[in-house]
Amino acid sequence: MQEFYNDISTAIVNLDEEKAVEYANKAINENLPLLEVIEKGFAAGIRKVGELWEEGEFFLPELMRGAQIMQNCLDLLIPHLEHISEKISRGTVVIATIEGDIHSIGKTIVGTMLRAYGYRVYDLGADVPVERIVEKAIEKEADVIGVSALLTTTMVGQRRVIELLQEKNLASKFKVILGGAPVTKAWTEECNADGFAENAIDAVRLVNSLLNK
Amino acid sequence: MLFQDWLKDEAKIILFDGAMGTELIKRGLKPGKVPDLLNIEQPEIISEIHKSYYDAGSEMCQTNTFGSTPMNLKRHNLEDRVEEIIENALKNIKKVRPSGCLIVGDIGPTGEFRPPVGKANSEQWYSSFSTQTKLLEKGVDLWHIETISDLEEMLAAIKAVRDISKKPLIASLTYKKTKRGFFTIMGDSLEKCIETLNNEKVDVIGANCTLGSKDMLELLKNARNLTDKPISVKPNAGQPIIKGDKTYYEQPIENFVNDAREMIEFGAKIVGGCCGTSPKTIMEISKIINGI
Repeated sequence: MQEFYNDISTAIVNLDEEKAVEYANKAINENLPLLEVIEKGFAAGIRKVGELWEEGEFFLPELMRGAQIMQNCLDLLIPHLEHISEKISRGTVVIATIEGDIHSIGKTIVGTMLRAYGYRVYDLGADVPVERIVEKAIEKEADVIGVSALLTTTMVGQRRVIELLQEKNLASKFKVILGGAPVTKAWTEECNADGFAENAIDAVRLVNSLLNK
Repeated sequence: MLFQDWLKDEAKIILFDGAMGTELIKRGLKPGKVPDLLNIEQPEIISEIHKSYYDAGSEMCQTNTFGSTPMNLKRHNLEDRVEEIIENALKNIKKVRPSGCLIVGDIGPTGEFRPPVGKANSEQWYSSFSTQTKLLEKGVDLWHIETISDLEEMLAAIKAVRDISKKPLIASLTYKKTKRGFFTIMGDSLEKCIETLNNEKVDVIGANCTLGSKDMLELLKNARNLTDKPISVKPNAGQPIIKGDKTYYEQPIENFVNDAREMIEFGAKIVGGCCGTSPKTIMEISKIINGI
């Protein structure tokens, strides 16, 4: 089996969608233990893609392509998991770029990577009002709220999300994480946020650790 | 043409301007406001910032049109106002431009990426940059395509400018530093970018934004060996920090200026600043240039 897992991982790292999909179908048709297939094969592959990106071997196109292939394979596998009543979702994340800020790319990458790692992600898009972010988090029973801001002018909205949660006595119900080029540790502390991430892989690591995964 | 004379004069170091965005924030630009729209809504502020750079010693300043492409404005539902925005941008800078100084047509990224990151393609980029270039052409002395993070998008912008204008062109990509050297986020190495730009009809090859002055100095040292064309550098002033509702930049101005001095020593032809730099930064660099 380990060899099969390695093949899957290699297909993801090589960004070979055809092979990756073929392996996913094979796992389904042969009734293989799908959770294990995902964790030891596909997730191992996407972790490697993330590492290569952090090391400067891969760039945005490879990172996005890898995550998309992973997502397509998960879309094939997950219905079969639910069929055998196995739960894959590691948690729910509501993610958005704050009101006034139309930079969506970083937030989209974080959302894609979190999905690839098995989180249920609700991506609300860019230019999203504070109230709507909080509303959606309540509606979707989110574990984590991710707020992105790329502009020093819109960063204050990140703090508003936490202030609104405090006003509604909901601050303890959600973990709030921040992202975006200008976000620093000092800003995260000033906002009373639960953490910030420098990049998409870091964001996955942060969410894992906040939810003890 | 003044700019070409400056390029030919080996001893000449050209002083560019510094940041527009962070200067607008200092003056109370509200979250979500498109800086380009202020050309219409608060023209006096835009003119004041241009003037502050010219006064500080900038020999050329950029129009406030970084985001004035239909593709970028569309995300704010402002694409119908591109003409009005650019008309006003030209008026705002022309009003305060001292004689002997130049106006640079600023062309920033469209904000749309090609697959697999986004859905844009070269034809869309080209068409968007063409619209911007046509509207700016009558009022600018030269061009600066800047903060581009995809070599393909840069090539679309260069083609758009060159199909319309014969004026000098500075082409600046934005790079991040990796363990293997400098790359755009789309994966084009500094070497590949410069080799490609060497064969394009650009007068100056540049780098701006993302990197602070220290990393930009290192990039310049690498770039110097890759091209015979003049090089332009506009680094950031470190990283922004928000305290209360105000934004500050941490890097002491002396550090930035010392790095700028080294950049000049290592052959930068054009020096200016990007995010976080101010007229004060430019004034300090001006003292260095005057002392050489």
